Amino acid sequence: MSLRIPCRLLLAFAALLATFAAARAATPDEALAALLTEARQHCDQPTDRLERILCGKPLRIGVRDYYPLFGTRENGTHVGYEPDIARAIARRLGVEIEFVRVNAATRIPMLGEDRIDLVLATMGHTTQRDGQLRFIRPHYYQSETVVVGPRALRIGDWNDVATRTICVTVGNVSNAQMVSHNARLMLFDEAGVLPDRLKDETCTLAAQDDSFFAYYFTDPSFASRFEQKFGFAQVPWGMGVARTGSDKLARALDLLSQIFHRDGTFLEIAVRNRIRTVFLEDQQRIWQRPECNTTEGSTNRNCILPALNLELAPTPFAAWVTAAEDWSERRLGIDITLPMLKTAPAFSLFLNGVVNTLILIAGALAATFAFAIVFGFSLGSDFRPVRWLAWLVTMTLQSSPIVLTLVIAAAFAHALLPYSTGVALGASILALGLTNGGNAGQAVSEAVISLHHEGGEKGMALFVHALGRSAISIVAFLINAAKGTPAASFIGAPELLGALTDVSSFSSGRATTYCLVLVFYTIVVMIVVWACGWLRTWLEGRQVSA
Amino acid sequence: MKLAGIWADYVPSLLAGMATNFEISIIALLLGLLVGIPFAALRFYGGRASVALAAIVVSLMRAAPTFVVMFFLLNVVRDVSLFGMKLTMSGVMTVAVSLVPYSAAYTADAGVDALRQWDRGSPLGALLFLPNITRAFFVIVMASGAAAAIGVPEGISVILRESALLPTLGDRLVVFAVGIVLFGVPLQIGLALMRWLQRELGRRLVGA
Repeated sequence: MSLRIPCRLLLAFAALLATFAAARAATPDEALAALLTEARQHCDQPTDRLERILCGKPLRIGVRDYYPLFGTRENGTHVGYEPDIARAIARRLGVEIEFVRVNAATRIPMLGEDRIDLVLATMGHTTQRDGQLRFIRPHYYQSETVVVGPRALRIGDWNDVATRTICVTVGNVSNAQMVSHNARLMLFDEAGVLPDRLKDETCTLAAQDDSFFAYYFTDPSFASRFEQKFGFAQVPWGMGVARTGSDKLARALDLLSQIFHRDGTFLEIAVRNRIRTVFLEDQQRIWQRPECNTTEGSTNRNCILPALNLELAPTPFAAWVTAAEDWSERRLGIDITLPMLKTAPAFSLFLNGVVNTLILIAGALAATFAFAIVFGFSLGSDFRPVRWLAWLVTMTLQSSPIVLTLVIAAAFAHALLPYSTGVALGASILALGLTNGGNAGQAVSEAVISLHHEGGEKGMALFVHALGRSAISIVAFLINAAKGTPAASFIGAPELLGALTDVSSFSSGRATTYCLVLVFYTIVVMIVVWACGWLRTWLEGRQVSA
Repeated sequence: MKLAGIWADYVPSLLAGMATNFEISIIALLLGLLVGIPFAALRFYGGRASVALAAIVVSLMRAAPTFVVMFFLLNVVRDVSLFGMKLTMSGVMTVAVSLVPYSAAYTADAGVDALRQWDRGSPLGALLFLPNITRAFFVIVMASGAAAAIGVPEGISVILRESALLPTLGDRLVVFAVGIVLFGVPLQIGLALMRWLQRELGRRLVGA
């Protein structure tokens, strides 16, 4: 009893000295040493994870086990950039390590449930995640989304991808940026299929995290065919610890990260694992600067990177939409998600999509009717060169699938004018009008010929009569033109299908979205069918009056 | 662009891609017949309520745009359950099924006409169903190019892939022109065959 009090006093004095030393430390190394010394004093009653680890418990680190180059498992051993960093940390702290397998969905919950002490698993640092865990600064890596394509294809920047199709994965946050540069997106559920789709030429371009493609570029045959065109949407990667009970562990890791950057430890591990080192080289320069190489460097805004802010501005009625979704699920048992009404960019795309669709349908109907008259007149003309030319054009249009006709119209339009919504809509209207108007014109000309054989009328009267006789065909091709308008999304016309495909690429609720698109288009086409009924009656009336 | 390159690489790829277009179209037509014929029978033989119901369903199928149906199937009904087994639709099957509303509605309309002819004692008139279905088949072949939008490696995908690598509009137009010719030849042969069938049947109808 007499000895215990002096012992406790001695320990308290040592802790006080360590705290004092940490406060006085001038370099991250001194601060780390002091922090570890202080933490080791609390082995009898550890309150922080750092104390627990230093007092004999293993450091439980959540790592990926199938993320090539960054974290994989080979013959039971964790290999890659992140497991190597984990080992370097454990070595520096002088503790045992225990790897725990995590994936993108489990890494944060496992931290909250105290099943792991540290996440080191390809995790991007976003402002949304800041509320869920404590990120270690400085970041240990930075990825970006890269556009990958064949070497023969000249793509330099955003100007070259407008109207091109880029294969992406659903939910990738960088999709919104691609959409804003008028790229068309082809959506896939899994990133793993993208390299294969590039190889089998289903995709000309694919966009994904550079850390994902890094592995594939180690394959000489892949690297000989494809290259990174450009990168965007940089995301810093951070280690993470629990928000509570990890203050000292977080501080130790902050200091360790500073030291690892400054001394090139991260860089050396990256080189060993064959991953890109541009970011790490930059970081080494930053953390060697005197203003950053201090005990407070990890909070100095001039040294650290900000978290990526991915939050999209909500619409003024987003809360009502969410309430309506909840009500539907609770009361009706129907799970609906309306992402197009909840964020400002999505709502803007949605509104523009509706307006553009209506413009496109009206334009396609008008163009079809106009071309029907032009082709009908030309094909029924007595002047042979005009008739043959019209026949040649009609045959060509009939032989070209509508998607190909749209692509050709877009190729001409973009050769003459830079991409814009108006150009894309104009090219689509022209293509739909030519294809359907050509077919309808053929029906008109057949009516003209039949009326010729019957004798009697001539000139304009005969033509008007022919329009009436071919009313059924004209109406059929008008309806066909309206039904064909969603195909315009293929050449980048921002109609509703294209707009909502863009929205669903960076938000949830694909099922509801595509149900809505189907219902919208079916209703619009039915209205066109109804309106065309009136037109048919009017045209047939002209036939009688003529 | 060298023409030799077109013949050596592009044309064989395009022909292989077009085989997929025909595969899609055959599946869509068969499924369309399977769905459309019962609707035709319902509209012809059914009572007032079933006729009205069949008419509504056929109108909806007629109004549904193929492109939208394709994206709907791709994103909403990708996995289907058949006799308790979970089946995932391939890209080819997704496109084929997206063409079924058109194919079934067309079959139902042509089928009703054929049944009317048959009922009036004109089996040859009823046989006009065949050229009508031939016409639908070629319309479906042309519409199956929509598959390019979801990454199915068919003819249009091959044309787009080849043209994307070419720097000038002139070179691209050569690629497009070859595509139109290769799609156009079977189409025009098919339409000529249909017209011949119609003429033959018409001649026999007059003769009968």
